[in-house]
Amino acid sequence: VTKPAGREELLARAFVSLADTLVDDYDIIDLLDRLVGYSVELLAATAAGLMLADARGQLRLVASTTETADFLEVMQLQAEEGPCVDCFSTGTAVSAPDLTSASAAQRWPRFTAIISGRQTYASAHALPLRLRDQTLGSLNLFHPAPGALPAADLTLGQALADVATIGILQERAIRRGEVVNEQLQTALTNRTIIEQAKGVLAEHFQLDMDHAFELLRGYARPRQLRLAELARELVTRQLDPGELISPRQKPGGKPTK
Amino acid sequence: LAIAAGDPDDERGLARQICLACVAGLDIDGASLSLLTTTASRQTLWASDPVAELLEDLQFSLNEGACIQAASSGVPVLVPDLAEGVEVARWPVFAAALAERTEIRAVFALPLQWGATNLGVLDLYRRLPGELSRSQWRDALATAEIATLLMLGLHTDPRRNQVETLGNDHTDGQLHDGGAGASGWLDSLSGGRAEVHQATGMVLVQLGVTSTEALARLRAHAFAHQRLLIDVARDVVDRTLVFTKDDK
Repeated sequence: VTKPAGREELLARAFVSLADTLVDDYDIIDLLDRLVGYSVELLAATAAGLMLADARGQLRLVASTTETADFLEVMQLQAEEGPCVDCFSTGTAVSAPDLTSASAAQRWPRFTAIISGRQTYASAHALPLRLRDQTLGSLNLFHPAPGALPAADLTLGQALADVATIGILQERAIRRGEVVNEQLQTALTNRTIIEQAKGVLAEHFQLDMDHAFELLRGYARPRQLRLAELARELVTRQLDPGELISPRQKPGGKPTK
Repeated sequence: LAIAAGDPDDERGLARQICLACVAGLDIDGASLSLLTTTASRQTLWASDPVAELLEDLQFSLNEGACIQAASSGVPVLVPDLAEGVEVARWPVFAAALAERTEIRAVFALPLQWGATNLGVLDLYRRLPGELSRSQWRDALATAEIATLLMLGLHTDPRRNQVETLGNDHTDGQLHDGGAGASGWLDSLSGGRAEVHQATGMVLVQLGVTSTEALARLRAHAFAHQRLLIDVARDVVDRTLVFTKDDK
């Protein structure tokens, strides 16, 4: 899996994996988590985050490639101002090829101020998760250098956003529009459990949140467990956090048990 | 909403307001709100009419139905037409009992879910079959979410435990995030404030308590130190604040 691959091969692998997930009974957070991972690899981005709107129309981060406090804050702000919220409200792709430009600063003063203070990202692209006339959320890509994504990349990014929409829909949604909302609600609720489980692991192993999430994901994936289900077991103490690490691999931090 | 004081009737008052708002604002005939739906100690806090109450009683005595499923799965359960075979197959006894004893044709059960914790279920019913419109559905979900946060607010209200020592200092409590009545409480738990959930997970390990109890302790700390819940949560995540079992 770690063997270097050309983009075409990577692309094929991504869609095969996503398609595989879709035919099985799957966890939506897990699917979206894979999807943001592929979008970063395929589109040479530094970071990606996927936001969904809750029942009150407020955007919430559901999956991201990095869970650092820094990135979470950037996404939190994006719920109020920035390419992401503009993409959501218009239902169209929004490109910010140069976040240091005067036009970007004029359009999103608070967002660009935060971004320029950090100097991590120079450009951002937001692609809508569209369903008929409804926008469910957006896929947000961040690049370290300024520049607009080529049209082919935007098309590919939109295809990934569409896969996310399909994942949220499930087959039943084609019959009943309301299921979309059930699924959306489930994704948002599951995210809360996952955040709590990250806290459990961070405290138990004295890890930062980023590594706590990697540990959660690293345990769930090879065992084909649902992230939210694993998180639920940790939060409700049905599963001891120590189980996530085999005796020989325990990290430097001292386990409490 | 007068939910600041600590007597148990507040939950009923809250349930009543939520149900009345649903009946007034949504295309439904009745609403009820029940607590602890997945456990043996179930309780219907409020029902808008005898039919809504019967709906709850039937589910609890048969131990099946939309509301029971919503509570155990944590996912909304929507039954726009109880006469449809596929829907009925999920709960045959419940569906038969409803058909025999009531004129209910549609049931929408919304769990009051916070993370892994189910606080109860908001049940809506209608005599005519049919789905809720998209905007009504959004309103229903938003109402359930607010009901969840207010109910969670009651369960973790620091003033419930400190009322004796602090006296009736309610005006002060409402000025900051520790108070249940403060809008800051809603803001810090809704809208993806990840740090509050992460801190809840950390504190539940530090103290060996449930997630609800951990949240209560975070709020109690914020209340006692006149700070915002989100700021206390950030300190926990940054490890500048650690809860120990001796803290009170």
